[in-house]
Amino acid sequence: MSNSDEKVNGLAVHSIDQANTVLIDADNVFWAMTAKDAQGAPFVSREVLSLYQKQKDSLDGEMKQFRFSAELSAVYIDPTDRCNSNCPYCYVPAKMRKHGAQMTKEQLRQALNKVLDYFRDKKRKPVIIFHASEPLLAKEAVFSAIREFKDKFSFGLQTNGLLLEKEDVEFLKEYRVGVGISLDAPLRSLNNKTRPSAKGGNFDAVIRAIDWFDGYQGLNVISTMTKFNIHSLDKLVKFLHSKKVPCVLFNPVRLTQKHSLKTKPDEKLMTKNFLKAVDTAIELSQSSGRRIVVANFSNTILGIVAPEARRMMCDISPCGGGRCFLTVTASGEMIPCGEFIGLKNSSGGNIFKTGIKEAMQSAPFQKIRSRFVEKIAECDACLYRNICGSPCPAELGSMGNMFQKAVFCEFYKAVIRHAFKLIAEGKEKYCFREEGWDNLVYNYQL
Amino acid sequence: MAKKVESGKENKKQKSKPVSGEMSYRLKCAKTANGLSHFVMYGDVPKEKTLL
Repeated sequence: MSNSDEKVNGLAVHSIDQANTVLIDADNVFWAMTAKDAQGAPFVSREVLSLYQKQKDSLDGEMKQFRFSAELSAVYIDPTDRCNSNCPYCYVPAKMRKHGAQMTKEQLRQALNKVLDYFRDKKRKPVIIFHASEPLLAKEAVFSAIREFKDKFSFGLQTNGLLLEKEDVEFLKEYRVGVGISLDAPLRSLNNKTRPSAKGGNFDAVIRAIDWFDGYQGLNVISTMTKFNIHSLDKLVKFLHSKKVPCVLFNPVRLTQKHSLKTKPDEKLMTKNFLKAVDTAIELSQSSGRRIVVANFSNTILGIVAPEARRMMCDISPCGGGRCFLTVTASGEMIPCGEFIGLKNSSGGNIFKTGIKEAMQSAPFQKIRSRFVEKIAECDACLYRNICGSPCPAELGSMGNMFQKAVFCEFYKAVIRHAFKLIAEGKEKYCFREEGWDNLVYNYQL
Repeated sequence: MAKKVESGKENKKQKSKPVSGEMSYRLKCAKTANGLSHFVMYGDVPKEKTLL
């Protein structure tokens, strides 16, 4: 697992399982899979070494550019700090969720115009994601903004679903909004334990909304893995597939706020059950002809086969916070990522008083961009360092030192090993939406 | 599907399957410099995939 693995012409020789060895350059993620001989020794051909020599310089350059450029592609906007739920692992401080700020319609317009100013000279159409706490508490302002700015931005919305009405779902489909909806388990009682509400929890509201979405390709379900739900991940995949949901994301609980420690799962159990859920999704996608993808596993596969196509930025080092995206809180503070809400010295300025450019150049943002795997003990020698990215600086910073390895380091290693195995079996395409996979083209192939 | 191959043979049905016990490949997004439109999470939802 480390750079001390045997090396052949600059490539580390790393055993994946009994059948496969991978040769890897951890810096640029050049890899070659090779079968073992009867004695278990890897076979390394001249073709692999010559391909590596041919590609090395350009891969080094591309990876450097990808990791260290600071080009925004998305802005998360929290139109309200308030929430109508009280999830035990929430990273937004409880006081803010109860009594926090909420943007008016005019303030939201003002914030979006500031974002537009920043992107005026850029080619890319920016993505705006309305996010935590519960953005639909400011539904009128959010929907009005989507109507007004529909041609300027691509929109996303992350919601607990409690306030979703049928006409809202029709509206979101009509405006092609990417929608993330929170659901932790396929059983009401289990789900409502970690997704509570005044009336019990969000289970019934979410199931109703999923039925209204009826196979909408812009829908994804976000599930937080805790000690409560890890035994039901594969059942959740089956349930969501039966409901025509195309995409699910299993986030390991972040321990940014101390109270979330009470929900921390056993790492081995989480790994075993997460991989079971991944395999279930692949089996269902193969056998039914209709895909369901586990988005964070897809991203791990991408980290190996197409590192620069990654969109979820927690697994790139430095992470995407304050580099590829930022968060605007309801009071207008610009912070590198939502995980930093409530953490001291993380604001890069207020969007109502200053600009995004200034925030990007601010000390808090630069500090986050200065955290990368080569500066972290163990990660600096890990062959997987540029596939995992060692998340998350907010979580680790809240524990006293952001320059330490990921809380769930062993989980990430096991997931990456599993990804290599699936690639060896030729199953990786089932981890993607068909059109996503088809949009990938070869840079090179042995 | 596969449009450009700099080394080795192009095989549209095999984006991955090992040939003679070895494989190595790298893919790039055909649409943007460092991101896919409509891929795993947020972003553009293509019109034709929007089921109204």
